[in-house]
Order: sequence, then structure tokens, then C-alpha cells
Amino acid sequence: MIKEMGYIYPSGTEALKCINLNIFKGELLGIMGKNGAGKTTLIRTLNGLIRPTSGNIFIENENINKKTIATMSQKIGIVFQNPFHQLFSNSIEDEIKFSLKSLNLSKEEIQIRINKTLHEFNLEKYRKRSPLNLSGGESKKLAIASIICRDPEVLIFDEPTLGQDEKEMEFFINIINREKKKGKTIIIITHNTEFSYNHLPRTILMTDGEIIADGPTKKLFENETLISRTYLIIPQIRRFCLAMQKLGLQNADKLTSNDSVVKYLKNYMQNKLLT
Amino acid sequence: MSLEFLNAFKFMKKDSFFHNLDPRSKLIFAIIYTISALLFKQIVPLLIIFISLIPLILFGKLFKQWVKSIRGLSFLIIFIVLLNTLFLSLSFAIAMIIRILIMVSAFSLFFLTVDPNDLALSLISMKVPYEFAFSFSLAFRFVPTIAKEAQNILDAQQSRGYEMQKKGLISQIKNLFPLLIPLIVCSIRRAFNVAEALESRAFGSRKERSFYYSIKYSLKDWIFTIYLLFILVLFIVVRINFNIMPEFLTWSFPV
Repeated sequence: MIKEMGYIYPSGTEALKCINLNIFKGELLGIMGKNGAGKTTLIRTLNGLIRPTSGNIFIENENINKKTIATMSQKIGIVFQNPFHQLFSNSIEDEIKFSLKSLNLSKEEIQIRINKTLHEFNLEKYRKRSPLNLSGGESKKLAIASIICRDPEVLIFDEPTLGQDEKEMEFFINIINREKKKGKTIIIITHNTEFSYNHLPRTILMTDGEIIADGPTKKLFENETLISRTYLIIPQIRRFCLAMQKLGLQNADKLTSNDSVVKYLKNYMQNKLLT
Repeated sequence: MSLEFLNAFKFMKKDSFFHNLDPRSKLIFAIIYTISALLFKQIVPLLIIFISLIPLILFGKLFKQWVKSIRGLSFLIIFIVLLNTLFLSLSFAIAMIIRILIMVSAFSLFFLTVDPNDLALSLISMKVPYEFAFSFSLAFRFVPTIAKEAQNILDAQQSRGYEMQKKGLISQIKNLFPLLIPLIVCSIRRAFNVAEALESRAFGSRKERSFYYSIKYSLKDWIFTIYLLFILVLFIVVRINFNIMPEFLTWSFPV
């Protein structure tokens, strides 16, 4: 729970203004907003990388304002935008090992977790390869793997879909679903409206350091004025449905998924052919 | 840990006596103060040089940024005091700290007040080939970018349990790898990207080129340069005749 939190950078820029936010355990939450809205600053406060200049953050009723980053990073894992900001080891295996060392695990446990993570992320064949020679998509995968192997309760992703091809995106969505099933709380910062519309049940919209909307993602995208304030675009499926509505196809604006559109059009065509 | 202090070397547009000087006179200023600091190893003369810098910092409206840059050196200062006091003397340690403060302050003032574009122009006017002048000003412009990148790397590593403070010198050096390697890799990648972007815009295709802005060495720059040369000569004279100078100049701590 974030209560009346604010953050002012040493340069004097007010990055966050009186943020009030409840995030529930096991929830999948999206954070969207234009560049410079304060999204990354908000997530950096969650594991103590920066301390709020006002207000408090509570995790399971415990105020975390005085907790160290090392303590918080055991509970909260953040995958940052640029994977090359964290890759440095001689091999992919070592990269995962580095993330596990600080958890005070036995050698056997570390090896078990490395093998499990490499297997889950299809990185086994690259085990001995230098992480610096990986492609953009693979390095992003490794950055995610090096956080997930720590098994934190909360996973935060900053622009995970950026620069990912369709296959990599699908892989990422599978990871998200798998971690959600394990009961993890997942927070995703994204500009990708297609992704958020189809996969994130709840989204908060931010502008100029403030939360301007919080609610079910599909409901938020019904409000065009609100979306335009955040410099986002309405997802393709929603635009298509609105266009159908304008053409006189009744209730088309209520459709929210590809399947429902296909079903609707199928019924419509059948009715048309019958008449 | 924050790398915010590196911002203290970032150019900030302001209207002050020091900001309005030509970049060349500011470069002469930084070099002369560095030479002056290297001339002495006694506390009092170094302190005099340091004090002579303070009015310039105040006239330049740069006190806050200057304090930040000095604060960022606290680790180095402690290291120098410990090492020099242990192996040499406390007086020598303090003198070395003042020497570093002079050099950092002089270059901090230079970086804070010189626009990277003006720097390239001034180097070209000093007959430095355009390619070198441009590369230098580009490197200069990337200092705050690299500082921001270093902060992002630190954040990313801390998010997976990396701890900066570790006991033992070897552990501390080894502990820098997770920060330095990504920083070097990202910098090299960026350098290649910038080079490709420049080449795709026909950088260096013609020997002669036009410049949109021009810089001028004005009367106040000449006055400032003459003042700087005067104090350099004065310090050199004092250094050569140090044995016949008043005794207070050689004052040091009894230990």
C-alpha cells in the first residue's frame, strides 16, 4: 500500500505527487503513461532504490521506508528496461549464479536453481556463452531469468515488451502467466496498449507524477479523453469495434477480444445471408 | 548509494561573469590552477590558491553544484588521509586533499560553465582538427549521460542483491566488476552507434565546413587571462624562492 507518497529529485523536479495506491497480493497490474510521467520513479521507490520524500510505503502492513535495498530486493525483483545494464559475467550460467549468491543458498541449491532457470527460459544451449554476445531479445530473456531465479514475491518489469518480436512476446506472456499461477504479484510498466489491453486486468494511468486513473484496463480504454491525456493510443481491437459500431453494427463497441469479434462477425454474416 | 554528484560536472546555462567568458579563457583558468596546485606541497600556499578560487565560485553562482562535486569526493578524501597519515604525515595528507580540491574545483567550474558546442568551436579556433574537436566535445557532452547510465546499472544490480559496501580491499575491487563491465560495454556500444549515426549523416565528407555560431575572445577574456598569467607567474616566483619566503608559508601540523 502506498500512502500519500511524493518524491522530489535533488534537482528540484517533483517526480511523484501524493501517490495513493493499493496493490493486492497475486495481482497483475499495469502502469501506463507518457514519458516522464513518473512510472519508473514509482517502481524505484518500491524496493528502496530511492526513498520517498513524503508519505509511506507499506508491504504487508510493514513500513519499508527504512528497510535496506538488500532486504527489499529479496522480496521485490525489478527487471529494468535495458538488459545490458546488468549483464557482466563470463557466462550465462555465472550471470544467474551472481543473482543467487546473495541469497545465502547452499551450493547444491544454487546449482538446482541455475539448471531449473536455464531450462525454463530455453537458455540451456547457451549455458557457457558470454551474455554480452546475446541478441537483444535473448539478453532481455536472461535479464528476466536472473531476477525470477531469486523467487521474489513481487516481480516488476519496466518495458518488458520493448524491442521484442512476436515469438519473444509470446514467451514473455507465458512467463507472466506461470508466475501469476504461483501467486506472485506482478507489476508491468508498458507503453504497449495491445499488450496491456489483452493481458493486464488492472491498469493505473499516470501523468506528470500523478495517478489519473486506476481500474480495469478494458474499462479505462473506453474513455478516449483519458487515454489521450496519457499520449497512448486506443488498441486496434477497440478501434475496430468502434468503427463497426459507427457503421451501424449494434453493440459492436462492447466487444473486447479477438474471439468475441470473430464470433460477432460470424453471427452477423450468417444473419445477413439468411435475410 | 547515489551517483548524483556526477551531475556537478554537467553544463548549466546561467547568466554570470564566469559563464559569459570565452571557453578558451576558462580552459586556461583550469590549466593554470592545476599547475599552481602541483607547484606546492605545503598546506598554507595550497590553501591560499584554494581560497582564491572561492570568489569565482560565488560570482559564477555555482556554490551548490560545487559543494555537490566536493561531497562526491568524500570517499577519496578519507582514503588519502588514511594512507598518507599512515605512511607519511598528517600535514602532507591535508596538503594533498587541498591539492585535489583545487584541481577538481577548477575543472568542475570549467565543465559547469562551458557549453559543449562552444568547446568544439574554441578548439577549432585553436587549430585543432575538426574531427578531434568534435570527438572531444562529444565525450564531454556524454559525461552526464554516462553518470545516468552508471546510476541505472547500480539500480539494476542492487535489484538482484548486489551490495556496494563489502569489507576488504580485494573484495571491494572485485565488487566493482558488476558496475564497471556493463558501463564499459554500454559505452562502447553507444560509441559505435554514434559513429554509425554520424557517418550516415556524411560526417567528414568535406574538408571545409560552415559553422552556425562563432565565438569571440573579448576584452574581459583578455583581462581574465592576464590576471591568470599574473598569478601563475607569482606562484612560480614564490615556489622558486620558497626558502626566503615568510616562515608562515611552511607551517605544518606538529605530527
